[in-house]
Amino acid sequence: MKTCIITGVSSGIGREVAIMLSKNKQFQNIAMLGRNKEAIEETVKLMDHDNINIKIWEVDLIYPEQVISVINEIYDKFKTIDCVLNIAGYTDPQPLLSTTLDNLIHTYNVNVFSPLMIIRESVRYMKKNGGKILNVASTAGMTSRPGWISYASSKAALISISQTLSDELAEYGIRVYCVSPGRCATKLRKRLAPDEDPATIMQPEEVADVICKLISDDECCLDGQNIVIRKQIRK
Amino acid sequence: MFSAILLSGGRGKRMKKDMPKQYLLLAGKPIIMHSLERLDKLSEINEIIVVCEEEFKSSIQLMLKQYNIETNVIFAHAGTTRQESVYNGLKYVNNDKVIIHEAARPFATLNDFKRLIESESPNATLGYSIPYTVVKGSNIITDLLDRDELINVQLPQKFDTNVIRKVHENARVEKKLFTEDAGMVFHYTGLQVQVVNGSSFNIKITEAVDLLIGEIIYNEYIACRK
Repeated sequence: MKTCIITGVSSGIGREVAIMLSKNKQFQNIAMLGRNKEAIEETVKLMDHDNINIKIWEVDLIYPEQVISVINEIYDKFKTIDCVLNIAGYTDPQPLLSTTLDNLIHTYNVNVFSPLMIIRESVRYMKKNGGKILNVASTAGMTSRPGWISYASSKAALISISQTLSDELAEYGIRVYCVSPGRCATKLRKRLAPDEDPATIMQPEEVADVICKLISDDECCLDGQNIVIRKQIRK
Repeated sequence: MFSAILLSGGRGKRMKKDMPKQYLLLAGKPIIMHSLERLDKLSEINEIIVVCEEEFKSSIQLMLKQYNIETNVIFAHAGTTRQESVYNGLKYVNNDKVIIHEAARPFATLNDFKRLIESESPNATLGYSIPYTVVKGSNIITDLLDRDELINVQLPQKFDTNVIRKVHENARVEKKLFTEDAGMVFHYTGLQVQVVNGSSFNIKITEAVDLLIGEIIYNEYIACRK
């Protein structure tokens, strides 16, 4: 029995990944983490339930200390943790002079500290048998983004965390992946670019497809890199 | 089942650092944890006796929790000599077979431990050929030695608990000091001590340069990041 933990499952990329994983049966236990229970239940309805245990843990990632006990609960329930997918993200884009400390802390808690706590607690269990960790960063973490300082810098941190942990956890047979999607039609993208037509950019299921391929048993040699996911849009 | 004694009492004077070498970081992890994690993975070992200075006990206990070490860990006091540290550790051994290892050798692999455990003789040591010429002497050469007849004694080692306890008692009575235990067993009992093939990667972190070399060995030999 293999267990996968996913955050950000209430919508967008996380929802699509959860649906795909329920269908491909790579994992027998899927732990769904998020704060919006109703939205997560909507995702669960869309998943294939045959021969799979799906369980929701209500947790708000703006409180990194909360995730510690949740990961231990997941291990106690399923007795194994094999894969961690940090997909949840938060943004409240502000220019420097309007950015508050609260904005920075909120963004970093969701985008950096909670993912890192989830990884730390999971690795305590994963290190005996190996596994996979995948963090969803952003192309915003790779280049200058005036007006998005908290979001862009938090994603840069997540890229760095992924690269460092890829080396630090290699001995345990734990592979760490990082993907940086470009423009993708999610709720978060809508906050960053409210005037953009979502139909003209990459769709969440296309990113989810790449993620599921990366964490499949067949994949090798792409860990430790920041993999950019972009789609050529023909106009 | 085996007990494992992990010697961690060294002061690290040759390293010229404030902290003993076994608590310095190698590949981002305290050196002692490299060995503790591997010992924890061996199902043949059901207790680990860490021999250390009292002042480091609490930080090791914290690391045991952080790294989720599940094997039962017992603490023994470091002695004034390596030999006394082993003697102190042996007091806590509850099995009739014991493995002795030292925290400053972080590159003994799981396979090394398994081959040692599975070796035929109840008393065995990892050993490796000596790749350089050695002669006898101090300021002047007093005799020649044939390197084909010499072995670079490495750790881990394994022993029959009763045998190793007895030879330590003998050495205490005679006030004789040994630098390791396989030679000691041979000296006092004449029993066969098997040599299990070691590795040139299994270095002991002693001097500052070993930490630099150790990072390369870790990447190539342990993490296999190429």
